[in-house]
Amino acid sequence: MNFSAPGLLLASLLYLILLFGIAWITEKGVLPRSWVRHPLVYTLSLGVYAGIWAVYAAVGMAAESGFGFLAYYLGISGAFLLAPVLLNPVMRIGRAYQLTSLADLFAYRYRSQWAGTLVTICSGTAILALLSMQIQAVSTSASLLAPDTSPRLISVLFSITVVLFAMLFGTRRSQGSENHQGLVLAIAFDSLVKLFALLTLGGVILFGVFDGLGGLETWLADRTTPVSSMTMSIDDGSWRALMLMSFAGALVLPHMYHMTFSENPSPKALAKASWGLPLYLLLLGLPVPLILWGGQALAATTGPDFYAIGTAQALGSPALTLLMYIAGLSAASGLMIVSTLALAGMVLNHAVLPLRTPKDQGDIYHWLRWVKRLLIAAIIFAALLFHETLGKNLDLAILGAISLSGMLQLLPGALGVIYWPEGNRRGLIAGLVSGLVIWVVTLVLPFSHTANLLEFLGAPLIPDYSNWHIFTFASLTVNVVVFALVSVLSTSTAEEASAAEACSLGALSRPQRRELLATSSADFVRQLAVPLGISVARREVERALAQLKLPNVEYRPYQLRRLRDRVEVNLSGLLGPAVASDLVKRHLGYKPMASGGTAQDIRYVERALGDYQNRLTGLAGELDNLRRHYRQTLHNLPIPACSVGEDGEILMWNNTMEALTGITADDVVGAKLMALPEHWHLLLDDFNRGEELHRYKHRLDLKGRPHWLNLHKAALSGPDHTEGGSIILVEDQTETRLLEDELMHSERLASVGRLAAGVAHEIGNPVTGISSLAQNLKLETDDPDILSTAEQIQQQTRRISTILQSLMNFARTGNHAHANRYEPVAIRRCVNESINLLSLSDKSMGVHFVNDCPEDLLILGDEQRLVQVFINLLANARDASPIGGEVHISGNLDGYSAIIEVTDEGPGIPTEQLDHIFEPFYTTKAPNKGTGLGLSLVYSIIEEHYGNIQVDSPANADRGRGTCVRLRLPAYEPDAGNTISQNQGS
Amino acid sequence: MYIYRLVFLLVLAIYIFSPNILDWWTSPENAWYSPYIIWAGLIAIGFWLEWRRDPNEF
Repeated sequence: MNFSAPGLLLASLLYLILLFGIAWITEKGVLPRSWVRHPLVYTLSLGVYAGIWAVYAAVGMAAESGFGFLAYYLGISGAFLLAPVLLNPVMRIGRAYQLTSLADLFAYRYRSQWAGTLVTICSGTAILALLSMQIQAVSTSASLLAPDTSPRLISVLFSITVVLFAMLFGTRRSQGSENHQGLVLAIAFDSLVKLFALLTLGGVILFGVFDGLGGLETWLADRTTPVSSMTMSIDDGSWRALMLMSFAGALVLPHMYHMTFSENPSPKALAKASWGLPLYLLLLGLPVPLILWGGQALAATTGPDFYAIGTAQALGSPALTLLMYIAGLSAASGLMIVSTLALAGMVLNHAVLPLRTPKDQGDIYHWLRWVKRLLIAAIIFAALLFHETLGKNLDLAILGAISLSGMLQLLPGALGVIYWPEGNRRGLIAGLVSGLVIWVVTLVLPFSHTANLLEFLGAPLIPDYSNWHIFTFASLTVNVVVFALVSVLSTSTAEEASAAEACSLGALSRPQRRELLATSSADFVRQLAVPLGISVARREVERALAQLKLPNVEYRPYQLRRLRDRVEVNLSGLLGPAVASDLVKRHLGYKPMASGGTAQDIRYVERALGDYQNRLTGLAGELDNLRRHYRQTLHNLPIPACSVGEDGEILMWNNTMEALTGITADDVVGAKLMALPEHWHLLLDDFNRGEELHRYKHRLDLKGRPHWLNLHKAALSGPDHTEGGSIILVEDQTETRLLEDELMHSERLASVGRLAAGVAHEIGNPVTGISSLAQNLKLETDDPDILSTAEQIQQQTRRISTILQSLMNFARTGNHAHANRYEPVAIRRCVNESINLLSLSDKSMGVHFVNDCPEDLLILGDEQRLVQVFINLLANARDASPIGGEVHISGNLDGYSAIIEVTDEGPGIPTEQLDHIFEPFYTTKAPNKGTGLGLSLVYSIIEEHYGNIQVDSPANADRGRGTCVRLRLPAYEPDAGNTISQNQGS
Repeated sequence: MYIYRLVFLLVLAIYIFSPNILDWWTSPENAWYSPYIIWAGLIAIGFWLEWRRDPNEF
């Protein structure tokens, strides 16, 4: 059964157009994003691994070595089942530093452009054989279907289509930020077609040829040789070699690295693929024995390699034949597209850019895109050339073996990235070169019939199809031994050691806190414009600022260091890590180090630890909890504290410091002290630089109010911590200072009081004498003038006595011993008594008193002294009231306090006088009208009764008049049997 | 790194004995599909481990 050549070409073209269509509608966003980024799509896209092996070569190998063909699937399944320890770390590093290929990873980890270039050369050489294998499979299968087609024409047409596809859908990503979703979906579709075709053929053979499982068992029982029933024992050597190569494939094959890491939508998708890909490969491998037995049972005319097509042809089904051909085509095209794309990226970053960094191009992104497209074309045509000259003469299995043995040389270096921080670039390059030389001499040259050096030298073992695995192991062993020895014997640079630490499992990068030459993000643009041009530099810096959520103009040293790292990562996605690192190092340099070492970037480490929180378990988790505890302690410390690095960079700024200064930690941590507002900057910077360890009562005016601050400083360095810097405590002493002032004021008042009492006592005696003499004078004369004068003298001495009595009363303050003799007092009765006493005076001026105190409002106190309080308050209210005014006394119970209010209708007390009215000798009344002691007396009596006094003026806010004096005294609650009637009766 | 050394040893042991394991799987007494059943069992274990994984774990 044959197809016509144009028909076959048309079918191939239609399938590839379908693939284009799928990629195109995905890129246009027609399909929902959740579908495109679904883990299933990702897992299926990883099926690109199988290539044409799945459709053709696996059957060929099954015919030769039975179930040995499973090694090709089991190795990579093992790698994926070990994803948490093998693939996740690589993905973490790749995502953090935007490493898009294995060459990028090597160049980043081993800090060597040569490492990247060597990986590129190794991958390029090895991949040529793999690509040739795909082209060969497609052209051979086409010539099986349409024997009159020229295999060369098929090869060329197929290659051109692949080039077009890769150019269109593989180079879209200009800024390293988005995946090639169209490509991923098209590859996933490829995998689906492959699986469907193989399962269909397997099903048709099982039920059409063997009549189900029972029939197959009977047929197998009739087969006597182990070869035909696939029960021969496994050849240990080739099995192990294939298994190892397949395991390594997950990491080192360019198309697998690209699909697994660069096109990965999320860590979750990789977790799903860790069992999803093995399951997919299981389903792919399931029909292989069936196809083999089907081919044998139907006596297919093709070789076992192409039994998939031969069996379908023998079944006489054109549709099935075409389906198998399409499956092969899709498998081959998928692998070619992805591996070419991955290789083009590697060549661009590690061969083109190191030689020629674009400088003068207007649009660097455009330039990069076109160079990549040219590289894709160049790689595919190189593969075509390889195929036409050498590849088509070799069989599929050995092409695959040569290719994978070459890639296997990268495994030691790749594992070293994650598991062996001691490995260095010298070791890597030496190991890789020696492994590759052995690979070329013992595998590439002999099998390509170029030069068989071993045969020429008369070696005891000459490579052939049965012992190739020995040479694979030999090259790998030499590679590993040289890598290990050279790494151990040579030293790594500090830069390499820090990269190794950043890559090793569970490690945090510990960057040093060094100062950049650039002092702001604008400087970044200026400095980067030299290599990149102003527009690209601006775009890159703005992009990095936006990714870090920083303001448009950034000046904080810590944030600038983050910005520098981000710019390097972004440029690494664009130009490869080696070029990006070189460019950033050269143009965004650090200031020369002042002293031998610099401090670690504490904040960076702390931030990174914060990101790691959920991943820290066991001892690390406990230590992290401890760190958080101490950090919280420092932050919640009720004393404002900050710590400052040796270079004046603020490292910590706690919550109370935020409250005191009104500056948030986010704004200043990582900035210099210089960046603080001027008054804080002057104070802290001066204190930080100064010799003194303490500074007391430094006055600082904040928001127009004076503050008094105590500053204390301690050095941060100690036996466990050699870095410089200091911690500064800022104690706010403003409250204490105000209390001290108040205390001094009270003390002054107290001395005035004692003085007054002393004076009163001393004056009292002569005044009594004067009064007695005046009395005697009255008895000794009848002269009315003298009598009148004596009377006046007596009046004036009485007046002096009253004043002295008031003074004595005032001085008798603070004597709380009286409290023992306190008895329940009804406020209403006190107020009434005071009103009565006042009415005796001739100065009542028609002022009307209203007593609204309830009868049952009681307090515990001295009734006489409370009457004195009310007399003073009511007299003041009366004096202030207009003629015919009303003074209102009210009382109520507020919880455990009795509140008594005396409200008048006078003009009120001016605000500036309110602060002084309780001071002794302060009066607003006219001379001879008051002593200025009344309210002072009231104040001290109320204090004696454990109460307080408050003055509101104006009491009536609407009219702006009136004063309300409010007394708050502890209320007395009569118990049963302890009633007021007892007091009233006394 | 302790756990990784254990994993490494385990993987190495499985790798070294893998031909014997496969010979056992494909011995003539077993059905032709028995390697696939054992393989599927491994995948099921992988699935179970992934399914019970702490979502916060990386």
